[in-house]
Amino acid sequence: MRVYLFGFASDDFVGRVIVTPDQRTVAQLAGQLVAWGLAPERGGPVTVRNEAGGILDPAATIKAAGLGNGDIFKVERR
Amino acid sequence: MVLRRDDWLDLARKVDWTPRYVEERELFPEEISGRPWLTHDAWRDWNEAYRTTYREYVANQRDKDAAVLGVRAALSKPRLFDDLDAGWVQLVKFHNGAVALAEYAGAVAELRMARFGRDSAWRTMATLGALDEIRHTQIPLLIGHDLLAHDGNFDWTHKAFHTNQWVILAARHLFDDMFLAADAIDLAVQLNFVFETGFTNLQFMAMAAMADRAHHHLFEKMVASIQTDEARHAQIGHPVLRALLENGSRDRAQYLIDKMWWRCWRLFLALSGTAMEYLAPLSARTRSFKEFMTEWVTEQFMKNLAEFDLEKPWFWDLFTEELDYAHHSFQLGLYTYRTTLWFDVAMPDRAEREWLNAKYPRWEETYGALWDQLERRWEAGGEAGTLSYGLPALCNLCQLPALFIRPGRNTACTLEMGGRRYLFCSEPCRWIFERERSRFADHNSVVDRIVAGQAPGKLTDLHRWMGLEAPVETGKDLRRGLDPWRLDPVPKR
Repeated sequence: MRVYLFGFASDDFVGRVIVTPDQRTVAQLAGQLVAWGLAPERGGPVTVRNEAGGILDPAATIKAAGLGNGDIFKVERR
Repeated sequence: MVLRRDDWLDLARKVDWTPRYVEERELFPEEISGRPWLTHDAWRDWNEAYRTTYREYVANQRDKDAAVLGVRAALSKPRLFDDLDAGWVQLVKFHNGAVALAEYAGAVAELRMARFGRDSAWRTMATLGALDEIRHTQIPLLIGHDLLAHDGNFDWTHKAFHTNQWVILAARHLFDDMFLAADAIDLAVQLNFVFETGFTNLQFMAMAAMADRAHHHLFEKMVASIQTDEARHAQIGHPVLRALLENGSRDRAQYLIDKMWWRCWRLFLALSGTAMEYLAPLSARTRSFKEFMTEWVTEQFMKNLAEFDLEKPWFWDLFTEELDYAHHSFQLGLYTYRTTLWFDVAMPDRAEREWLNAKYPRWEETYGALWDQLERRWEAGGEAGTLSYGLPALCNLCQLPALFIRPGRNTACTLEMGGRRYLFCSEPCRWIFERERSRFADHNSVVDRIVAGQAPGKLTDLHRWMGLEAPVETGKDLRRGLDPWRLDPVPKR
């Protein structure tokens, strides 16, 4: 199922809407967000958190990570 | 014998009567006169600080109009545009589109108080206030019309409020809440006490000072003239607030003040903050937006709160932190989404960056790398690389992009309600929404509408939906990527 999420990358300036199948992984979701941002080429490891601050497993699917329509996720560069 | 002014004015101001055919509650229903509903005895001592007769009002307004129109005539239409800085022209376009018809909504608000205000002196002041607001609509429409010959986008002075353009939707959401969907008591607190007493000095007096230095004397006259009216009818707020506090509605009064302070702050940082520090030419800038806000808005507001023994809004620490960042963050949003605006947007040049860093010591550290990155994209791929194409997350209260406070410290949060998850740019926006759920819950942001298929997702179609005819009307880089400083080596990280 496709879901829409609100992603916030630590080196970007604005939250962005991401529409994606919820069977994709958290790592792919983070990559999709960073690609929209101002520094997609920086690369490197990232940490993905949910709104409460909990770290999400990058290998987990978006659905398994508990993210659904309208949820926030945050991507921090390590 | 002709009576002297002071012999008859009190009688003329106080013409309340006892209704015989309807109850007082029917004449002034709570739904539109406001809560708490009190008998007229509670309003009998309503007094404005500066009393005005209709005759005095007409004489003063005639003189003020003559002063504005005199400058317009002296400059003559063909010369209205001469010597204006390119950024300043965009500032005027932004201001006119966002403000002209908001003033008309202000006239509706004043008229509501002119009918449903609870004391005749209040209703008289509001009647004059409505005449003021009509004037504040007409003058920018006139000046915008004059400028049409030089720049067709000045038709947004009138057009903007009839479109779905996202900045205007945000402004309308606020003005509907504050003006059009408010009862007389809420209006007096929100519009007169908070908005006019608190904030309009910034938009009108600070802008007048800048307009003088930008050599736009007609705009200077216009905004300074408007502010003298605002200062007069703003006094409606104080006696209404006093009546609320004397009749057990302290919590309600505090809520209205807190709510409207935050909502006005969101509007002013977006409109005035960005315009003052990214569109006004350096030579026109005297003080920073933060300095204006501190001296002209917050200090005055603190005095007003102290007068009524009211508390600072609970989010004050967040507000003061935002003073250093919020409008700079918003400018990045305006710049990268500029094709969805009706005015052009500037990337700060080297001299402006130095000025910004002098006024905001963490500006370069916080924003420098992002503007450098945009600069590199200009060099590598031209304008297309400097635009945002993805949808920004929009706040379900203020309707602005969730980009506060600054990169690396985003305060966005959500709320689950009625099977729907709402997004907010900040805790205060969520708090206001939660306090008045039924008022706000059914509204959809532009992004909500796109996601639901109620607005087009394709950018070219979205432009049309927003009322923008691309590429003629859509916002561009102010200097079209032709800055001399762009020939300098691109800064390396």
